[in-house]
Amino acid sequence: MLLTIKQLQVKYGSRMALQIEEPLSFDKGERIGVIGSNGAGKSTLVKALLGLVDYQGSIITQIRPEQMAVHMQTNAYVNTMPVKRIMETILNTSIRENRELQELIGFFEFQDCLSKRFHALSGGQKQKLTIIMVMMQKAELTFYDEVTSGLDFESRQKLTEKLAEWYRDKEDSLIIVSHYYEELEQLADKILLLDQGRVVAYGKVRELFRKYCGDAVYVLENTPENRRLAADFRELQSPDHLIALSCQDREEERRMLSLFVEHNMNFKRSSSDIEIMSINAKACFYGEDGARTA
Amino acid sequence: MDKYNEDKYNKNKKKCSFRMLCYELRNINGNFMTHFFGIVFPNIMCLLVSTVIGKQVPDAVRSEVTVSVVICMALIMPMSIMFLGYGSLYSQEVEREIPQRMRLFGFSEKSLITAKIIIHLLFLTGAMLLYAVVQSLLLDIPKPALSSLLILLMSLYLIGVLFMVIVHSMANIFRRFSVTFGVSMSIYFLLMMLTGMMGISTDKLPMVWQRIARTLPMTYISNDFAEFWQGGSYNFMPYIQSCIFMTALTGILAMYAQYRGRRVRK
Repeated sequence: MLLTIKQLQVKYGSRMALQIEEPLSFDKGERIGVIGSNGAGKSTLVKALLGLVDYQGSIITQIRPEQMAVHMQTNAYVNTMPVKRIMETILNTSIRENRELQELIGFFEFQDCLSKRFHALSGGQKQKLTIIMVMMQKAELTFYDEVTSGLDFESRQKLTEKLAEWYRDKEDSLIIVSHYYEELEQLADKILLLDQGRVVAYGKVRELFRKYCGDAVYVLENTPENRRLAADFRELQSPDHLIALSCQDREEERRMLSLFVEHNMNFKRSSSDIEIMSINAKACFYGEDGARTA
Repeated sequence: MDKYNEDKYNKNKKKCSFRMLCYELRNINGNFMTHFFGIVFPNIMCLLVSTVIGKQVPDAVRSEVTVSVVICMALIMPMSIMFLGYGSLYSQEVEREIPQRMRLFGFSEKSLITAKIIIHLLFLTGAMLLYAVVQSLLLDIPKPALSSLLILLMSLYLIGVLFMVIVHSMANIFRRFSVTFGVSMSIYFLLMMLTGMMGISTDKLPMVWQRIARTLPMTYISNDFAEFWQGGSYNFMPYIQSCIFMTALTGILAMYAQYRGRRVRK
């Protein structure tokens, strides 16, 4: 066991920012995606684990906050020298002599940025600088807090792909905080869904999906015609422009598919859609009227 | 934490290395404030004031007056480098959460501050050497007694360290560059006025200000140290008391800043 959280509470003034009642355990080698809307308590959780905010309750772990590597939402460095010098100081090594570091710099195509000062780097380059240094720490537990925030769609995708590629065959334990479901689909194998400081759901992506969505989900465009045709199937909560249909077994899925083919309907199938799963987990957590059910 | 993890933690803990010192040296060199107020300003002020005042006094006391001005203006260096310069540099770092970022990379607060203190003291030493060379070449300064010179140097270093701790604590409390810089700049000029560095002797100030000035070691350095430049006796007790008072105030401020910025889980 890498880390266990018990009865954790974080307050900012009188506001309860995070309240984890049921014990949560993170195992070694797990990739946990933390999702939730703004103010859900995602970054607060990271800060509590790093000991950067006061909290009540207990975080049981063998590793000290200083042994955890973290990519914060904003990571700033001095502007008085090239980033190469900053990197060499923080990692206490020479880029010229460290082949592993050279490999990482090459992997993230960061060579041309080394002579620039921090303020002269683009948003994506700034993120890459911290990612390289965080990866070089080889920590027992690594946090990525909104690693792609502020980046355009293309840069975000590229960076996520790079991260997924780097960690593919490695056994590092990661906690990835993100707003973007597609990012977590690539990086996480477990999901911790937070809302208003409470844990809505926690578990393996596939298990949570099965619990809240069924065997598979078919997503259609929300048109009156599609709605009429899909009326016989169980509809899940979904964004307003979509209709999400749940399949509980293969027979139901076959019936659904033949209907779609028969009426030439466009659809998307998923058995791990984190967005639909999150919406339905929240609906289940709060009940029909939006109030928290016991 | 078990033995294995404790060993691993200690092995990975980043200490104040040579690279860290080079980093701080580059950092200080990128700060215009430190160079201007720490090197250019005291040299120009000393030459200007000693020339102007020198013309207004009889020949017999001119060298004594020059010594007084040189000692007085030497005080600008620790105040500018360690207080204004370091304050502007560090408060910008605090505002952008750079020290926290460095701690998250495994640097202890102690190692970060140690590197900053060493480099700033080295920079102060360089500035004082340059000041000594420039002023001794351009002004007629009598040779000091070794003990007097050592006392002056020790005093300048002590004041420098105290000011560095004060502004470091202020930056950690205010957490904003504009506030820290505004407050430190106000204190800087207030202290210069109180302790006679602006050309007004402390004993010409209103009584309330004189009382405040007597609690500051700079007042004694600026007004009295010229008296024993070439030897002689001097009652150090009021000066030592002012040093103890300033050190105590600095300690309280540092402890308060430390308490506010403490890391929750050790």
